Amino acid sequence: MGKQLTEMLKGTLEGIVLAILAGRSAYGYEITAWLRDQGFSDIAEGTIYALLVRIEQRGFVDVEKVPSEKGPPRKVYSLNAQGREYLQEFWRNWAFLAERLDHLHKGDRST
Amino acid sequence: MTPETPESTEEKSRYRRYLELLTGSLDDKKRYRQVKARMERLPENYRTAFDALERYIMYFGRADGPGALEMYEDLADLFEQSAANATPIRDVFGDDPIEFVETFIQNYPVGRWMARERERFTRAVARAAGEEDRRAS
Repeated sequence: MGKQLTEMLKGTLEGIVLAILAGRSAYGYEITAWLRDQGFSDIAEGTIYALLVRIEQRGFVDVEKVPSEKGPPRKVYSLNAQGREYLQEFWRNWAFLAERLDHLHKGDRST
Repeated sequence: MTPETPESTEEKSRYRRYLELLTGSLDDKKRYRQVKARMERLPENYRTAFDALERYIMYFGRADGPGALEMYEDLADLFEQSAANATPIRDVFGDDPIEFVETFIQNYPVGRWMARERERFTRAVARAAGEEDRRAS
């Protein structure tokens, strides 16, 4: 994964994680594994964890501690109503940005 | 530690208030020792990484104060989970460990003193520019 892509991803990672959690509840390791599968190979486990701590503090997710066979209990995150609202805002902003960049890419400067 | 009997609690708490003036919070110290004990049980490479992380945080004067213990406890959770999943150290920290730790500590009041100073600076410029003194959020 190139440096430029990593930089771009930084601004959108929160939205990406919320979108994953909108589909189903997950714990940190599952989220990182899923992102790796999708080709986001450079994402550090610690970065995802820091982000999960933040979205928990901001009240976007509900957290349940689930016992694990190996190691300590896992924190399972699920998106709550406030998180869904925030995710919708993220998608609106994303749509705006994607549409503007697409125009720029196609050389259509009139809009 | 054995639980205190009810009649000793009040006296002890007064004694402890004086003591803690000198020593700092004993509960905090206990929680910190618990984190250290959890880290002692980890594989050696995780311990080495945690020690380095702790040194980095302390060196910049962000090792105590509000939220510091939550921060250490959350870090301990992360390291225990990662060790249990046998996640390689590099995958926990990423290519840029500074980036990881700086992002991480922003989540806690101790990590936010830089942010507070930036906010103060932003407001000062706004005032100097003759704008309304709005609180940056």
